[in-house]
Amino acid sequence: MAITKTKAPEIRGIVSSVPPRRVDNLTEKTAFDAQEVEKVVRLAGVKTRHVADESICSTDLCIAASRRLMNSIGWTPDSVDALIFVTQTPDYFLPSSCCIAHRALDLRDSCAAFDVGLGCSGYPYGLWLAGSILQNPGIRRVLLLHGETPTRFSDPSDRTVALLFGDAGSATAIESIEVPHNREWTFCMQTDGTGFRDLIIEGGGFRERVPKDQRKHFVSMKGPNIFNFTLKRVPTLIEDAMSASGLSKEQIDYFIFHQSNQFIMRHLAKKTGLPEEKIPLVISEFGSAGGPSVPLTITQGGLSRPKDRPLQLLLLGYGVGLSWGSALVHLGSEAVLDHVILDGPDHQPRETERAELSSRILKNESRPNKHSKV
Amino acid sequence: MTRIEALKWIADIFEEPADRITPDTPRSDIQAWDSLGVLTLMADFDQTFGIILSDEEIQCMKGVNDILEILRTNGKLSE
Repeated sequence: MAITKTKAPEIRGIVSSVPPRRVDNLTEKTAFDAQEVEKVVRLAGVKTRHVADESICSTDLCIAASRRLMNSIGWTPDSVDALIFVTQTPDYFLPSSCCIAHRALDLRDSCAAFDVGLGCSGYPYGLWLAGSILQNPGIRRVLLLHGETPTRFSDPSDRTVALLFGDAGSATAIESIEVPHNREWTFCMQTDGTGFRDLIIEGGGFRERVPKDQRKHFVSMKGPNIFNFTLKRVPTLIEDAMSASGLSKEQIDYFIFHQSNQFIMRHLAKKTGLPEEKIPLVISEFGSAGGPSVPLTITQGGLSRPKDRPLQLLLLGYGVGLSWGSALVHLGSEAVLDHVILDGPDHQPRETERAELSSRILKNESRPNKHSKV
Repeated sequence: MTRIEALKWIADIFEEPADRITPDTPRSDIQAWDSLGVLTLMADFDQTFGIILSDEEIQCMKGVNDILEILRTNGKLSE
């Protein structure tokens, strides 16, 4: 297992985003009978979810979140040193989604930008990369974007996924701290490639470019195998993170689980002896949005935030790959947490927001931090 | 756990009357033993006995006798 620590940077803010269309699983017409739907809803815990139409990609969600975030914390486009885009639902095979976001956000040419093709474990990995990059004195500000549109690769007739997935994006602003301090972030990362077929889209890639079976363009999930994997790996992941950090479970304010399935999360909570009040759940409202469900849970999970100290968060991502990882980070009381529902026809922020951003770009001004607490 | 207790445990998991579950009952006769039922069964194996099933065991379970066999193999079933 890769265990690493970095000198802690500061999370300036996190903004999550979802498409405007909200589907109610119990009332939406589906391929399943009412009894089946009720059972899935009861077990998986997904009552509603936000679903992207064909015009909305992960980049749209993340760009909208980024604009809100940069406006809120006063980051001008020319102040961003690096952009990391984590997604498995890119607009194109090439170019990388980071380049689309780079253009939309008017970032400067000297900004480093790259994609990371990870799913459920993507947020801890993204923070790990951001934290590592920020150890370099030449880099001060990193924008981490993580977005997925899993509803767009789900077969509506496949009960294992059709009612489960929701779409979401996120933007996280991370900045190096210039005053001396001893705080660290701790990361544990693991991979088991033997399970690569347990959650897979077989068609469309270069192994099978144009499959005869059109269903291969949809995701195929071996639910029991994935559950088996989480039972084996997640409790150990939590123990490893505790051991590596030297902290006790009592010192962690919240354990932010990837929102895979309510039944699975509750079982994991019981198995690991964690109090349910320390495990915020948003799956009921947003479904399983893949890796972005972690930042979505931070902004929408009703976290109680003391004013006099940062929160200690253990972020847990696990799934497709099979890949899993944890990030033990702190979230300062000044950090902005916000949420955007895309509302414009072109999936851009409202005109007022755009005008404000443009004006500040021209004047090269910053805006004081907004204290937006969930 | 005795065999009778094990059969009762299986009946409870799938919300079936105890007298409907015998070692010979196939999976197809248990309505709740669907893809979601498998998750419930796996969670109960883990919670009650600390047994985490292998992918092969999950795929090979075709009836109640297979569940009993897993309990037996793991030393959880007294004859």
